[in-house]
Amino acid sequence: MKPIVTWLKKPWPYWVGGILLGFINVMLLAVSGISWQITSGFLLWGVGILEWFGLEPLRWEYFDHFKYYYAPVISNDHVFINQYTILNMGVIVGSLIATLLASQFKWKKIKNKRQFIFALFGGIIMGYGTRLAFGCNIGAFFSGIPSFSLHAWFFGIFAIFGAWIGSKILIRFLL
Amino acid sequence: MAVREIDCLCELCPVPLLKAMKELKTMEPGDVVIIRSDHSCVGINIKEWAVKNQYPVEIVEAEDGEWEIYIEKIKEK
Repeated sequence: MKPIVTWLKKPWPYWVGGILLGFINVMLLAVSGISWQITSGFLLWGVGILEWFGLEPLRWEYFDHFKYYYAPVISNDHVFINQYTILNMGVIVGSLIATLLASQFKWKKIKNKRQFIFALFGGIIMGYGTRLAFGCNIGAFFSGIPSFSLHAWFFGIFAIFGAWIGSKILIRFLL
Repeated sequence: MAVREIDCLCELCPVPLLKAMKELKTMEPGDVVIIRSDHSCVGINIKEWAVKNQYPVEIVEAEDGEWEIYIEKIKEK
């Protein structure tokens, strides 16, 4: 038996993480009725922020397609505080606890302007893409495959393409 | 024998490995490159690659949350 410090400091093997994630996702679905997803929460925050500025994003065509999914949350008027927000907070708090237990917490700085611009641009196209694909690699892929949804497989194939193109861009521009 | 250093603080996988690969190409056999990183996966990522390509590799956690990864360039196969 290795000392507990090793378990806290060293990353766990992929298969352990995979089993845990799968198990916890099933528990989550059983308890709360939703599978793990990240960007639904951001979408609703975005709706809330746009509403501050007097826009009415809920009237946009996008929500005609997804009303059935978000309507319960929106009609109860909890655009900011809802189950998706709690999930996202859980991710942040959980990883904070893990990194503190490993005593590896550090504030990271931005290395240079180029890294900043690439990260910002990448974040924007990623966010836009997740809304078109109805989820990120968590919501659309990780939770989609066990739901037997065909869209998850399409998502997976194109995510591999995207990663391939992304690594080409990385080698070309970021090294 | 020369020692080179690459500052990969604040950089995420796979950038440090790619930088190391690029650096190793320009090095003489026996030279050592030190990659400084503050991202926990970088060491594992580089070690996996180095072991596969038979480069001697060593990881040291220099301080909490900061690692130094040493790779020695070996003779061309």
